[in-house]
Amino acid sequence: MASTTVINANATSKLQPSTAAPIEPLKNDAARLYTHIHPILVLSLYAFKFPALVADPVSTLLGTLAPLAVLQIAFVAVCMPPTGGAPTIKKQKPGEKKPKGPGQLEQRLNSKIVPAFLSLLLTAIAATPLLTTTLVLFGAPVSTHHLHTLLCGAHIAILSTLPLVYVHGVNGETWRQIVALLLPMDEVYGGLIGTVLGAWLGAVPIPLDWDREWQKWPVTIVTGAYIGYAVGKLLGGTLLKGKKIMFD
Amino acid sequence: MENGDVFTPLSDITGQNGAAKVQKQERQESQAPAPGPRATIQDPDKAKRIGQVHFKAAHGIIIAFFTFILVLHILGIYLFTSGFLLTRLVLDHTSECAIPPIDSAKAYTAGDAEKGCWHPKTFDKAIVIIVDALRYDFTIPFEAQFEPTNLSAAASSPSQAPPAAPRHFHNAFPVLYETAKNEPNNAFLLPFIADPPTATMQRLKGLTTGTLPTFIDVGSNFAGQAIDEDNLVAQLKNASKRLVHLGDDTWHALFPDYFESNLTHAYDSFNVWDLHTVDNGVTEHLFPLLKAENASKWDVIFGHYLGVDHAGHRYGPDHPAMTAKLNQMDDVFRRMIQEVGDDTLLVVMGDHGMDAKGDHGGESDDEIQAALWMYSKKGIFGRTNPAYATPPANAKIRPVGQIDLVPTLSLLLGMPIPFNNLGKPIEEAFVGKKGADYENLATVNRLTAAQIHRYQHEYARARGLDESTRATALSLWASANNAWSSVGKSKSNSEQMRNVYEAYAAYQQDTLSICRDLWARFDIPRMLSGVTILASSLVVLALYARVLHGDRAEVTPVFFTRGAIGLAFGAIFGVGVTVFMPEEARSHVVILSSALYGVVGCASTFYSLKYRLMSPIPNSIWGWTSVIFTLALSAGFAANSFTIWEDEILLHFLTTFGVLALISSFRQKRIADRTLGVYHSILFTVLLRIASFSRLCREEQMPYCKSTYYASALSTTSAPWQLVIPAAAALLIPTFIKSYYEGTRNYQHNATLWIGLVLRFGLFLSAAYWTIDAADDGNWFPGWENILRITKRFLAQIVLFISLGFGYAIYNWSKPLLNVIIDRDETRKDQTGAPKEAITVLGFANVHGSRYALLITIWYLAVAVLQKPMGAGAISILVWQIFSLFEIIDTNNLRHSSIGPVVLGLLGSFHFFKTGHQATLSSIQWESAFIPLAKIRYPWTPMILILNSFGAQILCAIAVPALVLWKVKPQKKGLLSMLAKAVATHILFYATVNLATTMWAGHLRRHLMLYRIFSPRFMLGAVVLVVVDVVSIAVALWGARMSMLSSAEVFGFGG
Repeated sequence: MASTTVINANATSKLQPSTAAPIEPLKNDAARLYTHIHPILVLSLYAFKFPALVADPVSTLLGTLAPLAVLQIAFVAVCMPPTGGAPTIKKQKPGEKKPKGPGQLEQRLNSKIVPAFLSLLLTAIAATPLLTTTLVLFGAPVSTHHLHTLLCGAHIAILSTLPLVYVHGVNGETWRQIVALLLPMDEVYGGLIGTVLGAWLGAVPIPLDWDREWQKWPVTIVTGAYIGYAVGKLLGGTLLKGKKIMFD
Repeated sequence: MENGDVFTPLSDITGQNGAAKVQKQERQESQAPAPGPRATIQDPDKAKRIGQVHFKAAHGIIIAFFTFILVLHILGIYLFTSGFLLTRLVLDHTSECAIPPIDSAKAYTAGDAEKGCWHPKTFDKAIVIIVDALRYDFTIPFEAQFEPTNLSAAASSPSQAPPAAPRHFHNAFPVLYETAKNEPNNAFLLPFIADPPTATMQRLKGLTTGTLPTFIDVGSNFAGQAIDEDNLVAQLKNASKRLVHLGDDTWHALFPDYFESNLTHAYDSFNVWDLHTVDNGVTEHLFPLLKAENASKWDVIFGHYLGVDHAGHRYGPDHPAMTAKLNQMDDVFRRMIQEVGDDTLLVVMGDHGMDAKGDHGGESDDEIQAALWMYSKKGIFGRTNPAYATPPANAKIRPVGQIDLVPTLSLLLGMPIPFNNLGKPIEEAFVGKKGADYENLATVNRLTAAQIHRYQHEYARARGLDESTRATALSLWASANNAWSSVGKSKSNSEQMRNVYEAYAAYQQDTLSICRDLWARFDIPRMLSGVTILASSLVVLALYARVLHGDRAEVTPVFFTRGAIGLAFGAIFGVGVTVFMPEEARSHVVILSSALYGVVGCASTFYSLKYRLMSPIPNSIWGWTSVIFTLALSAGFAANSFTIWEDEILLHFLTTFGVLALISSFRQKRIADRTLGVYHSILFTVLLRIASFSRLCREEQMPYCKSTYYASALSTTSAPWQLVIPAAAALLIPTFIKSYYEGTRNYQHNATLWIGLVLRFGLFLSAAYWTIDAADDGNWFPGWENILRITKRFLAQIVLFISLGFGYAIYNWSKPLLNVIIDRDETRKDQTGAPKEAITVLGFANVHGSRYALLITIWYLAVAVLQKPMGAGAISILVWQIFSLFEIIDTNNLRHSSIGPVVLGLLGSFHFFKTGHQATLSSIQWESAFIPLAKIRYPWTPMILILNSFGAQILCAIAVPALVLWKVKPQKKGLLSMLAKAVATHILFYATVNLATTMWAGHLRRHLMLYRIFSPRFMLGAVVLVVVDVVSIAVALWGARMSMLSSAEVFGFGG
């Protein structure tokens, strides 16, 4: 996980305990509606593709990568406030303050779609390799199944990291707090934690001797990640909103 | 180190004002209490001595308390084991020549051993040869096993796909197959299925008594014990036959004084390094006996060749040494066929097989499938079907049981069938030349079945069993008898006789399967009592470790005293109660009563101290993580899949810990802590994954696992490239350890000597050991074998002496690893006019930790030399990880948390697998006993095996005190209490695992996989718990005492 960059970033930073407020979704009707439809769409996509995933993991994971990315981009673009590039988004609720134009296409593109695609790019080049490495550290095969593991990492990255990059940008100190689980809970953060926990639990059925086709690598991990994402996003946006994780 | 050898108490250094560590008037040259000019020293010195007495007393009580826990563990494990592994009631009835079990057929008069006791005998003399570990597929030519057309046979063979080319063990021993195929009337060759456990001693019992051996006997493999139930050897002896034994001395432990002492030659059976002494000895003494002039000196020869087994243990089956050994056997038996007399029966068999690596003990197909070959020049053997003339292509076709040998040999030699026999006569030996003598076959099967019936009757009576348990068998018996009496005088090869034969065989088969079930008979009350003791002692330990609050050192005396009184009272009470009880129940009641009273006594302290009990619910993520890891792992042992994949699960949990540690490190406020924590968390996690490449797969993990521990999956030798690993460890690991010392400037004095020089030297010697070993194995220098062997053993002995002798001496007498630097500042003067001095104590930050951690490196050397090259690498990584863990615990301030001891438990278990072990009997590396010794020697051999098997757990147990001591303030209060807490938590982890595996083994006692999976895991858990208990007490806590006493010389006791 983004270790080296973060160390360098916080060597100079003086920000200590996070004072960030949870991310609020945008206050328009489309956002309010779509934020609930989105996880249903994601899970439906997954459920629809599940038989194909079990039959042929690599091509199915590859094929669903683009639809998943589109869904996630649509979600953040419709529902979430983009980072202003400034690290001080925590001070106020940026969704409300954002000067909202009369809906001109150009402005929407600049303020929403471009950050969304930047998030996708960062997810692809930074988060995916890191998460794939983490999968290998947890025991994913090294000499075989390279594409399986890589695509599994990519799915987890798009689920968990893309929205985070969109709302938090690339500020080093913010990312240290993200990795350190210091931010207060919200939809996006809950999605990250849910995805990771789900993927972690997804490893449990692999060794069982049930001889089921779906026990093969990495079906259970991806399943856990998708379900975990939906559950985490739901809980993070509602029940656990604003709560912080305490270690000690 | 010009000013470092001698130390001054800190109180002197810091002077009367007791301020920080920087000011003092004068440096004192002697460390001994100086009755010098300054009287002020006397007081702190006296206080220190009092402190020392207090410390030693408190420490002694803590040792006593943990010994009390150890006693409870041993009592619980013993009770459970005695109920769980107990199986069969041994009847001491013997069969007699004159009393056949049923009226004789054809009015044959029983009782004359010269003609044959119950049935006319066929042979006067016999040579029975065991070729240890002769697996069935060794004897079948490769072409016969893997014909291109015979794909089904290939698919059912254990090696997954048909091998492209013959292995080293193929086609090397064809004589048995050739004779059976070419002279079917003179010889036959059949698969010979062993009843597990497949250890030689259990097999010999089965092969001579015809009954199923019990599991607990595995443990007595080293010691040996005489067979006291009826058996073939005893029957022969009773009939005044002259018996000769040659080879494996296990026979003499089982049959003391049965053999003609002047002709018998026994050889040590456990030196697996030695492939030839036994075999050459057997051959040398066997052939002279075959000569005509010696024929009158003996009646039956028992020979036991061990070379094939040893070649398997040492090299694995797929090795040129195996080819050579099998070729040698081939020559021996070709010669024997020529020289054997006409009236002599020749029997050659394997007592068990070997797995893909050449080991045995379990019940996998490769381990139980041996070969049986019989030969005689009389030409009396037959086949019931012409298609059977060719020996079976694999061991699944027409196998016979090993117990079947007993009635077969007995009847062929005219002996009564041993009383407890459950086997049936082998068809080929009785069906006659033409394969049609069903009358004879029916007669011998009737005799055998009748003996089994008699035995079953007696057994049921002795055990008080109800007839209903064998109702089906009894009805089979009745119908077989009806068939027999209805046949009357019909012709012998009639279909009816065949039906009679099959009816008796069906009875035997049914009885055998009933007995298999029945003798997995468990003593449930004992098992429950054992579990009760283990569970209640676990509760006490858990309360002590995690719920008790405040200083443990001051309350431990109460725990210990009450526990000990309870133990003693319970024992007396138990003895009093059992006076009126039957013999068998006594030990059970005494043990249960003393253990439970001990637990109650100890637990009563908690009641008195209830104001000091905290909530048992964990209050942090770390507490929860420890609990979840421990409980999830323990719960998983209920499923065979999770037990099989324990190594991967441990990797998963430990990596989870690494990630959590990384997250936690990112949360640290101080940037130095954060950076150090992040670095060590990543290092810890990456090292885990690197270590995980060292694997030794158990059979059940196939085909999802690839063994890397040895050169190949079919060998037990290391590949040449693996020799680099110990050398690299010698080069790198001391440097890495040094870096952990240098961070706090503790790389001083004896640390430079030990870590920089001696440890590295020792590690290089052990790398040299494996190079010489490879030279010996690979025969790089022909003719130099003896010199190589002596040299390598000598090297290993030196390394062990360096670590446990020299290393301990350094450890015991070492001063704290400090260096005092005095800067004389001439420009500033104090009141007396002397120049002011600034004193810096280097290494102050980690006085306790650096001093104690030397102990880990000492044991590291001892453990590493006893591992194979790959295992030495895993152990080196383990040590590196242990030091990283100290830093993680320190930077995240987790000294009081349960996570450190629990992660050490997981880490020890993980590296148990990475050092080439599995929770199976066949993965015990017996040959490691011969790394430093040429032959078995007590008590060293078992200790070497323990260091080899449980080295990882031992090192982790030793590392536990350092979790607390690492970078702790020298005068920190309550260190002893923290130590006790950490050690108790560590033991708690293993005790939980042990309780879980015990309960699952007891609960799943009818499970198909009991003896393959649950029972070995239970045994592993129990042994590891006792080993960790003992190491925690004798090495860890005692080592902490040495270290803390020496630190207190300088800094005094923190209290």
